[in-house]
Amino acid sequence: MTFVFQRLLMLIPVAIGVTIVVFFMIHLIPGDPASTILGIHATPKAVAFLHHEWGLDRPLVSQYWLFMDRLVHGNLGQSLYYSAPAASIIATRIPATLWLLVYAVILAIAISVPLAMIAASRKDGVRDHVVRAVPLVGLGMPPFWLAILLIYAFAITVHWFPTSGYGAGFFGHLHSMFLPALVVAIALAPVVIRALRASMLNVLGAEYITTAKSKGVPAPRLFLRHVLRNAVIPAVTVLGINIGFLIGGTVIIENVFAIPGIGQLMISSIFQRDFPVVQGVTLVFGVLVVMVNLLADLSYAALDPRVRFDR
Amino acid sequence: MSAISADGLMAVERQVAPRSVRRWYRQPALAFGVVLLGLIVIAAVLGPLLSPYNPITQNLGQTLLGPSAHHLVGTDQLGRDTFTRLLYGLRNDLRIAFLAVVSPFCIGVVLGSISGYFGGWVDAVIMRLVDIVVAFPFYVLVIALVFVLGPGQRSIYIAITLVGWVSYARIIRSEILVAKRQDYVLAAQSGGLSAVRIMARHLLPNVVSQAIIYGMSDIVQDILAIVALGYFGLGIPPPTPDLGSMINDGQNFMTTHWQLTTFPGLVVVLVGLSLSLIGDGLADIIRPGQA
Amino acid sequence: MRVRITSAKALIAASALVVLAACGSGGSSSSSGSAAPAGAPIRGGNLVFDALQDAQSMNNTTVFDNNSIWIFEQIFQPLYTVTNNGKGVEPWLATSYTMSPDKKSYTFKLRPGVKFSNGKPMTSADVKFSIDQDRKAKGGWDFLDLAIASVDDPSPGTVVIHLKYPWAPLLADLSIFANGIVPNNYDGQTEAQFYTHPIGTGPFMWDYWHKGQALKLVRNPYYWQRGKPYLNSVTWEDVPSDNTRELNLKGGQAQIDQTPAWSTVDSLKTTPGVTMSLFPSTQTNYLAFNEHRKPFGDVHVRRAISFAINRAALVKAVLFGNGKPANSLLPPQVPFYQAATQGLQFDLTAAKAEMAKSSVPHGFSTEIIVPSGNSDYITIATILQAELKPLGIKLNISELDPNTVNNDEQHFKYDMVLTLWTMDIPDPDELTYFAVDPQGGASSFFTFYNNPTVVKDTVAAEKTTDPAARQSFYNVVQADAAADAFMAFLYYSPYPYASTSNVHGFFVTPLGNMHMEDVWLSK
Repeated sequence: MTFVFQRLLMLIPVAIGVTIVVFFMIHLIPGDPASTILGIHATPKAVAFLHHEWGLDRPLVSQYWLFMDRLVHGNLGQSLYYSAPAASIIATRIPATLWLLVYAVILAIAISVPLAMIAASRKDGVRDHVVRAVPLVGLGMPPFWLAILLIYAFAITVHWFPTSGYGAGFFGHLHSMFLPALVVAIALAPVVIRALRASMLNVLGAEYITTAKSKGVPAPRLFLRHVLRNAVIPAVTVLGINIGFLIGGTVIIENVFAIPGIGQLMISSIFQRDFPVVQGVTLVFGVLVVMVNLLADLSYAALDPRVRFDR
Repeated sequence: MSAISADGLMAVERQVAPRSVRRWYRQPALAFGVVLLGLIVIAAVLGPLLSPYNPITQNLGQTLLGPSAHHLVGTDQLGRDTFTRLLYGLRNDLRIAFLAVVSPFCIGVVLGSISGYFGGWVDAVIMRLVDIVVAFPFYVLVIALVFVLGPGQRSIYIAITLVGWVSYARIIRSEILVAKRQDYVLAAQSGGLSAVRIMARHLLPNVVSQAIIYGMSDIVQDILAIVALGYFGLGIPPPTPDLGSMINDGQNFMTTHWQLTTFPGLVVVLVGLSLSLIGDGLADIIRPGQA
Repeated sequence: MRVRITSAKALIAASALVVLAACGSGGSSSSSGSAAPAGAPIRGGNLVFDALQDAQSMNNTTVFDNNSIWIFEQIFQPLYTVTNNGKGVEPWLATSYTMSPDKKSYTFKLRPGVKFSNGKPMTSADVKFSIDQDRKAKGGWDFLDLAIASVDDPSPGTVVIHLKYPWAPLLADLSIFANGIVPNNYDGQTEAQFYTHPIGTGPFMWDYWHKGQALKLVRNPYYWQRGKPYLNSVTWEDVPSDNTRELNLKGGQAQIDQTPAWSTVDSLKTTPGVTMSLFPSTQTNYLAFNEHRKPFGDVHVRRAISFAINRAALVKAVLFGNGKPANSLLPPQVPFYQAATQGLQFDLTAAKAEMAKSSVPHGFSTEIIVPSGNSDYITIATILQAELKPLGIKLNISELDPNTVNNDEQHFKYDMVLTLWTMDIPDPDELTYFAVDPQGGASSFFTFYNNPTVVKDTVAAEKTTDPAARQSFYNVVQADAAADAFMAFLYYSPYPYASTSNVHGFFVTPLGNMHMEDVWLSK
């Protein structure tokens, strides 16, 4: 419990640091939201008027205090582009991103479990080498390139999936988001396969498995009941550790597939210099990553008590 | 999204039972990776000799040609030879990706060593910095930084350095935490050797291999980042050939000239595959406890 | 699938495709494949319109973004509307007007029987409120109403507008969406509340807006044009990728593709089931010079560059032949456009002669800023680079992200920049005031151009209502502006729209206005 408490306590300076980085990095981006709103009509007078409206004419430090003051009250400010609360705009975009993340993780596991089992069942055999090497191709694939090829193959050549979008309703999402989730899953699978294979081998070497084998438990049941159950925890941990990469990947995928998630919102808001929205989205990403990392850390600590002493 | 966060992964793998060290040539995957990377590097280095064309000169009378004896992969919308641009793009992207890992590697190794060896408040400060950087998804931070710095190679180096050092720092720190309890280090300490000397002479040589293995996957990740920045129009400015902008420019012609997008992507995949195979194979050899 | 998220307005230098900007631009007259009427219109059907980017806000008095404008023009209607050729206005929510002898007050008769989509009749109080709101819209479109002194509503069917001075462009100004009619006092709501689900007299009324995805309008049951609109609903989908919009169209997921890429226009013309339309527009593309940066204060340098540009080659390379070289500051679809103004057309000998007369006869090194990811502008810059070389001018291309390019232009941090304009009103005044009058707030299109003759004639053309007199003033403005080469006028481009061939009655005016009430779908 003390360990958990300590980890939470350490989040405070991190949280403050994250807000500082977010705020100042975004305000360092050259350009001006007034240019977005006014376009060619951005005469100095009109720009000054908007800057005053938005409080952008104040010193940066006082803008930061205002941002923090609002933040602790749960207010992310007004979107400069939509003139609507940033929090509500972000909130409407979160479901699509979560859908993509969860869908991708499920697909990654669906790909990885059988492959890892094949590899682990014949350690150092040909199958093992092939299973370990081939998914590495996925690691080097530019996600948007893979996305373009998949769209071409499965949405244009054969019309199995829509070319883009989020779909409507549960099954609509399931259908529309398959290709995007697959792209993310293909990048993720090699890591999961490696972790699963390693821990499966570990479990396979354990005494209770040897015992079970000698008792004549059939192989499939052995794998499902004993090996997989115990091997899955490290794999989940690896997923947790990679959450930052996972989320970063969704930013690109959402843009290619026109999925209305927060990754797409972030990119469009950066282009529009919609500071409050970019700040909000980055904070949401940060919270997501920190929380998942924390959970991964905790589960990892529970798995391996030595970690606690090291930290 | 090359998703290798090597530190965590290694930690998991480290629990696995040890096994005998293998020679690299006994590992088909590693051997294949080395040969593949060798070919790629040769193609990149000899690029100018392999093609009679200039990668930048436009020829508006010869646009969008299909593959032929003159143009192995055809020409693009500005009449430039695609094969030539592939070679030069590979050359540019490889060079940038390899150079881009140097400074995060050095910074990460130094800070990670200090953090792991001394512990205490130094460790706390460095680790909180790491936590702050890690709180941002990789692409989110890189894209935002390149916006701040403006498109171009310099920005790519700076952004990757600012984001990339944390992984090395974490790996080295956790390795040092383990290594500093080893007998030979304790002996050196009681022998009165300075901290710098112990780190440089005794600890680093033993732990740096992990960072090198991670470096392999980091290069892959950096290539993907450069390519992704090209997709957002933030990468290497045209007309300099770059695989990312080639993929991006080609996609408008996907239905009629699929080779324009497909081949640059394949080149990236091959680079990524070779480095991943090498990283994997090295991990098997160097790491004491690995399946 | 380039990310083209910049706001349309960004137009300035920004995404050329996107851009039709800031102005509720428009264009008219039909085009290569404008839908031919296929029998009597059929009522019903839902139309999906794939737009390049999301709308920004429904506030018609402050928004400059075309994607917003084109949508709320279906909700709010003005007293007069732009004619289909884009050169004049016709009665819309007003039926007629009379002008006082001193030309300083206009009395409008309102169209009887017009109702808002909530069923309440429109009266003069609504009109007064609407125009007063726009006059108060600081930082918005208030500048178009600067000549108005006050608005009166003597009876429910009559509105009187009093002017500070005689003002020729009044009807044109009233035809802009910003002077569209909203209910008095926003129907009892605050301004912010009202614009989250606006009410107007237009053919369609509010359904929903999922920001970043889609905005849907449905039929207004109280619409005043009998039998219209034909469609049950129109949904604007947010599809930034050129490829995806095209695929959605071909797959039948969408019926109209806004702005297909120029490289695809020719193949779309021959695609079965697709109608490719190129509507004449008021869009003009320019190359602007910053006169405060050396050596662009020198008229010979500017003229030399203007002479060195092969505009026909630009039209071919960028628009794939679907446009025309520009000769004037004004586009052909604007009243008082002077076709006889030759402008400075491609002539390398003349260019070299101008260079010889200039302060830098041996050339110089300079820079053009271009929005990254905008392939049209990058192509133009690359061609310019080659064309200026014979003059000894070394042109460096600096790619910046679109917002930065706009911002640098507006802060005069550039040597050369590509820019464009589309009209919002059927009168040259909005453009000339902005582009050649240093008092126009933008220091003459951000160039610091200042020719007293041109300024004097621009102002005089606003204050006289005699068309012949205005024409002669605008002739001088166009001829002098071209000779001074304060910008190089590059080309006029049409508005490209692709639609499925079951779409009928779809038309875009040169200012960009669309009358979606006229659109119908055949089976």
